[in-house]
Amino acid sequence: MIKVLFFASLREQLDCDAVDVAADGLDTIDDLRNSLGARGEAWQKALADERLQVALTQQLSTSDATLQDGDEVAFFPPVTGG
Amino acid sequence: MSVDISIAVQAEGFDPGAEYRQLRRANCEDGATAMFVGNVRDFSPDDAGGKQSVSVLELEHYPGMAESALTDIAREAAQRWPLGRVRVIHRFGPLAAGDEIVFVGTTSAHRQASLDACAFIMDFLKSRAPFWKKEVGVGKDGKTQGSWVEARSSDEQALKKW
Repeated sequence: MIKVLFFASLREQLDCDAVDVAADGLDTIDDLRNSLGARGEAWQKALADERLQVALTQQLSTSDATLQDGDEVAFFPPVTGG
Repeated sequence: MSVDISIAVQAEGFDPGAEYRQLRRANCEDGATAMFVGNVRDFSPDDAGGKQSVSVLELEHYPGMAESALTDIAREAAQRWPLGRVRVIHRFGPLAAGDEIVFVGTTSAHRQASLDACAFIMDFLKSRAPFWKKEVGVGKDGKTQGSWVEARSSDEQALKKW
């Protein structure tokens, strides 16, 4: 399983803060993004935003990063803390 | 000597005076202390170039990653400058206008290291630590409305000077 988290405006757009996804066939974060996008129009549209950032095992990462079963992945808009 | 790094991500408020005293406690080798405190503004610029009132700022964070991102930034600062102590606090949850949001404190033997490290930590925190602000206020129509703060390109630009 891959645990996927969503934060802030993305979480509100999807009306979802977390999903578990079977790791089979998902080699990279891009694969995961495409698979999530197939859940419906809202998902497709929200996840197509190029400004979204992604974290793999709680470290900022890139769309070509390789996934392993048990990983935690988070998608979120650019951060605005401080 | 290793740098004393202390990170906190918390809902509770903090006392900048108490944080200063903690940075100075039994610390006679560092002659300089630099501190930054960020507070909630009671307005945000609206699209028309005016000001919109903000009554509550809601801060969302990514538990776990927020702590590790702040720790990584503090460690990076400690590698670049000869620091004695580093303290970073970032709050989450609903905050009111005037409330403290963030604290960065650094100590060093001489001032330049602590001043630069404090600014460096704030600049990287702004663009790398997983926190998001939502401003909740009352619009011109009298209705309560919330809007997510947009990231500014000037924050990303600020990293280039380091």
